[in-house]
Amino acid sequence: MKLHEYQAKAVFSQHGIKTPEGKLAQSKEEALQAALEAGFPCVIKSQILRGGRGKAGLVQVVRNETEARNAIDFMFAPEKKVRNLLVEKAVNFTREIYLSLVPEPKSGTVLALACAEGGVEIEELAKTAPEKIVRESIDPTQGIFSFQARNLAYALGLSGDAAKNFSSVAANLYDVFTKNDAELAEINPLFLLADNSFIAGDGKLAIDDNALYRQKNFQPDAEDFDSDIAKEASQEGIPYLQFDGDISLMCAGAGLTTTVYDLVVDFGGTVANYLEFGGPNYRKSLKAMELCIRNKPKVILIVTFGTIARADVMAEGISEALKTLKPECPIVTCIRGTGEEKAAEILRSIGLEPLYDTEEAVRTAVQLAKGGTR
Amino acid sequence: MGATGAEGSFWTGHMAALGTQVVAAVTPGKEGENVGAIPVFHTVRRAVSAAGPVDGAMLFVPPRFTKDAVFECLDAGIRLIVTVADGIPLHDALQIRRAALSTGAKVIGGNTSGIISPGKAMMGMFPYWIERVYKPGRIGVMTRSGSLTNEVTAMVVRAGFGVSTLVGVGGDPVPGLRFAEALALFEQDPETDAVVMIGELGGTMEEEAADILASKAFSKPLAAFIGGRHAPEGRRMGHAGAITSGGVGGARYKMDRLRQAGALVAERASQTGILLAEALHPNTKNH
Repeated sequence: MKLHEYQAKAVFSQHGIKTPEGKLAQSKEEALQAALEAGFPCVIKSQILRGGRGKAGLVQVVRNETEARNAIDFMFAPEKKVRNLLVEKAVNFTREIYLSLVPEPKSGTVLALACAEGGVEIEELAKTAPEKIVRESIDPTQGIFSFQARNLAYALGLSGDAAKNFSSVAANLYDVFTKNDAELAEINPLFLLADNSFIAGDGKLAIDDNALYRQKNFQPDAEDFDSDIAKEASQEGIPYLQFDGDISLMCAGAGLTTTVYDLVVDFGGTVANYLEFGGPNYRKSLKAMELCIRNKPKVILIVTFGTIARADVMAEGISEALKTLKPECPIVTCIRGTGEEKAAEILRSIGLEPLYDTEEAVRTAVQLAKGGTR
Repeated sequence: MGATGAEGSFWTGHMAALGTQVVAAVTPGKEGENVGAIPVFHTVRRAVSAAGPVDGAMLFVPPRFTKDAVFECLDAGIRLIVTVADGIPLHDALQIRRAALSTGAKVIGGNTSGIISPGKAMMGMFPYWIERVYKPGRIGVMTRSGSLTNEVTAMVVRAGFGVSTLVGVGGDPVPGLRFAEALALFEQDPETDAVVMIGELGGTMEEEAADILASKAFSKPLAAFIGGRHAPEGRRMGHAGAITSGGVGGARYKMDRLRQAGALVAERASQTGILLAEALHPNTKNH
């Protein structure tokens, strides 16, 4: 679960990392008021999770009231779908630095990444100039050693109080990372000020969904979902991704569903949604189909190869769903695994022709979506 | 562990039915009870001291208790641990991986069906009665996905082969055992002639396998199928580990790396068996 910048910065502050003075605004009036209070120049930042905010004009430095009004109008335009603006005092800095923490799966460590140039796209830099990235592997059972923070500081060319202060920021960010079950903690840019202190110019923090049960401060809200259907699926515990194409995928198993997605694109079709009702959800055919139908798909494509998820139970659920929901679009089924003979009988009894080959099923669905016949 | 639960007891029964020697179960507070004919103990230490040394531990423990269970097994000296839990917190998984490396233990999973040698034994949850997937043979399979395993392995069996051992490394971002390590085990296995790797987008495990192949440390044919060729950037495709970010972890990139390293790379699941047949029986057609 990705947090917004203002949420990430609040967590940073709690862990002793300084952030710019700022105010969150939910309306144009509030935003303008906040800008006037902050004084000019100030920074107006849209609180959205999409990347590339700067290039899209969704983060702007404004020098006077007119510029502030224009920026606020631009960012709050309905099509931008921005709900909150963060208005911050501009920071006078002498240097920008990059610092982040990510898991390193191979060694079972936490990897600190730092770069003497802040404001960069780290993925881009990793490709073009990997030698500029400084790394330090932290053993999660030991935590970050002081020497590791110093290794980073001096490799970045810092010295004196700046090096000491950077070491504290690194230790504090490690604290943020571990105490909050983060999968990413990033400060980019991290500003160095004239007095050798540091302040977090921007913040990214993503919390591990699997740990939300013990991280009660973070709970997803409506704007974290791609659509109302996605939100409802999440409440049902059904993995779901929103797309805008023709074919609703109602499949079982993450790997198989992903592969069916590949095949749909291979054969020239488009996907309306990715929905997975395998594993613990295999008795939820009715709900799964209801969610699919709300996308008004041209075809619903059902592909399963169940391990624990029994084919006959899923077919029974599909039969019930057809009777209850009476979908108007054609349905293509390819249900295999435990109980598949009985599943085939059930499907035939409701007028569906069971297929056994995934590629054939996908081809059929793509043809039907294009207005063809079986 | 966790064999007294509904799911745990069902699959423990099947493990024994397939031929796995299950000698003890562990559920705190239930010592003195039985799962089928298997005695239950409060702790792993008590189980091992009563039943004698064991070769491995099978964990049917919920994700939030998995770290504790893994460390309990390590503490009791067990060095092969399979955990099926789906939803282990990332930071727990990091510590499990770290502990596996420092003790030399093999921790398989989480988010996996486990491991199986069809016709012999299994630790996990496999419908071994589905003959067109779990047919005994000489092909090793390693996989990040349960559902895709059935899909791909059925194609391997259709081409006339069977499975020696299937290792589910699981769909999590930080698995306890990685593809490259499973490959090293298959290299040493006299009952395995070739390996099928079922990978997907996200992470670097497929690239590490390509490196092993390129270094000649793995000398048998390796066929690979990678899911998520068309997955959009930044979207998590079902498995927690199945995500591309910043251009890293894309399925296409993995396929290119594997091909360059000499692997047989299938564009579609249906080609996997055919590629294996061409590699293992170059002079015969029509597999």
